[in-house]
Amino acid sequence: MSPEQERPDSTPRMGRRTLMRWFLGIGAMSSVAALASVLGTVKPPQAEQGDQEIKSGDLLTFALGTNKGDTIERSSILPGQAALAFPKSKEIQDNLIMVFHLNTGDLIPPTRLDWAPEGFVAYSAICTHLGCTVNFSHDPMEGAPYPHIHCPCHAGLYNPQAGAKVVGGPPPRPLPQLPLTINAKGELVADGPFEEPVGVLQGGR
Amino acid sequence: METKKPGWLEERLGLSGFREKFLQKAFPVHPSFFLGEIALFSFVILVITGIYLAFSYEPSAQIVSGDGQSLPAAYHSVIGIDKQPFGLIVRQVHHWSAHLMIAAVLLHLLRVFFTGAFRKPREINWFVGCLLLFLTIFAAFSGYLLPYDAFSVTATGIGYGMVVSIPWIGPMLANFVFAGKFPVLGTIPRFYGYHVMLIPLLLLGLMALHLIVMIKQKHTEPGYNRGKVAPGQLLGIPLWPQQATLMLELFLLMTAGLLLLASAFPVHPVELYGTPGPQTPSVKPDWYLLWVYGLLKLIPGWMEGELWGAMINPEVIGGVILPGLIILIIFLVPVFARAKSPQHYMEPLSQRPVRTAMGIGALAFFLTLSAAGYEDTLGISINVFRLAAFAVPILVGLGAYLSARLVQGLMMKPREQTHKPTDSQTLEAQLRQRSSGR
Repeated sequence: MSPEQERPDSTPRMGRRTLMRWFLGIGAMSSVAALASVLGTVKPPQAEQGDQEIKSGDLLTFALGTNKGDTIERSSILPGQAALAFPKSKEIQDNLIMVFHLNTGDLIPPTRLDWAPEGFVAYSAICTHLGCTVNFSHDPMEGAPYPHIHCPCHAGLYNPQAGAKVVGGPPPRPLPQLPLTINAKGELVADGPFEEPVGVLQGGR
Repeated sequence: METKKPGWLEERLGLSGFREKFLQKAFPVHPSFFLGEIALFSFVILVITGIYLAFSYEPSAQIVSGDGQSLPAAYHSVIGIDKQPFGLIVRQVHHWSAHLMIAAVLLHLLRVFFTGAFRKPREINWFVGCLLLFLTIFAAFSGYLLPYDAFSVTATGIGYGMVVSIPWIGPMLANFVFAGKFPVLGTIPRFYGYHVMLIPLLLLGLMALHLIVMIKQKHTEPGYNRGKVAPGQLLGIPLWPQQATLMLELFLLMTAGLLLLASAFPVHPVELYGTPGPQTPSVKPDWYLLWVYGLLKLIPGWMEGELWGAMINPEVIGGVILPGLIILIIFLVPVFARAKSPQHYMEPLSQRPVRTAMGIGALAFFLTLSAAGYEDTLGISINVFRLAAFAVPILVGLGAYLSARLVQGLMMKPREQTHKPTDSQTLEAQLRQRSSGR
């Protein structure tokens, strides 16, 4: 007597249908896994960039206009004015800086005064809300003192005299301040990288 | 008795069964039933004009020199398309069709919502339809980047910011969706893939499913058809030739209208926006995304919190969590308003005061959020809009509820008096005769 006949209902342990379902399931799952791993290896083209981090000694240059690329000197920005700048030859969007020439007496904490020689103060120009480039606004605006920084995307407002702290709109954090010095030739020079993350807080961290 | 000799195709393919099954499908005669067709035909026009554009478009952000300037290759190729004899108008028709498709899909959704056509047995098509709406908007958004002008890069940059801000998984997700940290060379090829391959294929598949389910379940009918035909039958005109003629007329009318719009009202002038630079132009998103834009403006900077080691920031709340919740609620509408038995007739707005109030209130909510996007232009304080975002939908919804109840009260008596059973057999027979009598 074979073992199958001993069992009362004589059905096999696993029917053909069940076996085929298992095969189908395993096949489908491995196909999905294979597809996912292939997709995971897709690499975008990368432009040769080199090291783009701002370092102590980087000269600041104009980011826009007819004098684009020229180094910014003490006399380049009139009092009460601001300019968009890049650290020389590190012109990626995250390095965009807004340099202000303000009255030393107007600067108040949380501005790092030791990073703001002769009233020159530099902040990241990338809004901490969703990464747009901020503007220096000459127009008075509701709830914002003059002068103020205004983001054209979702109306975020910052105060450049007080460490670019948020004074209105949705931005969650102040614009990071860049350590700044003025060299013997009168040129504006970065004195180190940003100490706070620039732009949108990635993944909330 | 002599039988007609079958035609060449009939002999080979045996189409008579197909003809009886599908070409006789009845279509209810009501103007609001054309909205889905307008969406479908917009898609057809988008595919046709899109293929033309793809012949000359170069999906690359590499800087090339052209016209004595250094320009992104994509921007340069779009300028080239605009210079072709019919290039600019085809590109404008493509853009206008995208607007029309989204508008038609949205109005279609509203029609289905307000008439209760999403209820049993049509829940599946509500879910499929919501996916179609979502994909249509994503198709439009992915198309925005392609000209690579200042507007494109700003809009996509904000999209990148929204994705990357998602707690924990944001950077990984954004890296995959945007192929790196936007703006980066990899984004255009990937978005081009979404825009011309992935999304159109998904749209096509889901549209087919949407239509198959609709044919299987039959349309809903205007309420005044109630009792005119036997249960399970649909009063309307057959697909061939009556409805097909109307469809062709609609398609031709739409093509003409889109050409008129494209020639008289230019959209997305890439030359005006210029190439992307370090500065962000002051631009607003298109009308169908204005509500998210308004929402982002309304969420104040102090509204944040920490959860399991990650910051939940205003950009996550306004750009991801709240829009996600709103979309989820819309998606789940059939779950909230269930019917016990299968429904066949459109319901008048007055018959369902609560649903009508919810729908009108939701519309008021979206419009208030969109208006909040224009707070600077309107010169109204953002705080007013923060209050209005709660107050306006509630007040408008309440007004809609009361009006619906009022109309209900006025309608109740006459309807009871005039409701007479009709000889459904006769009408059904007439209809059959009409559709087979040629």
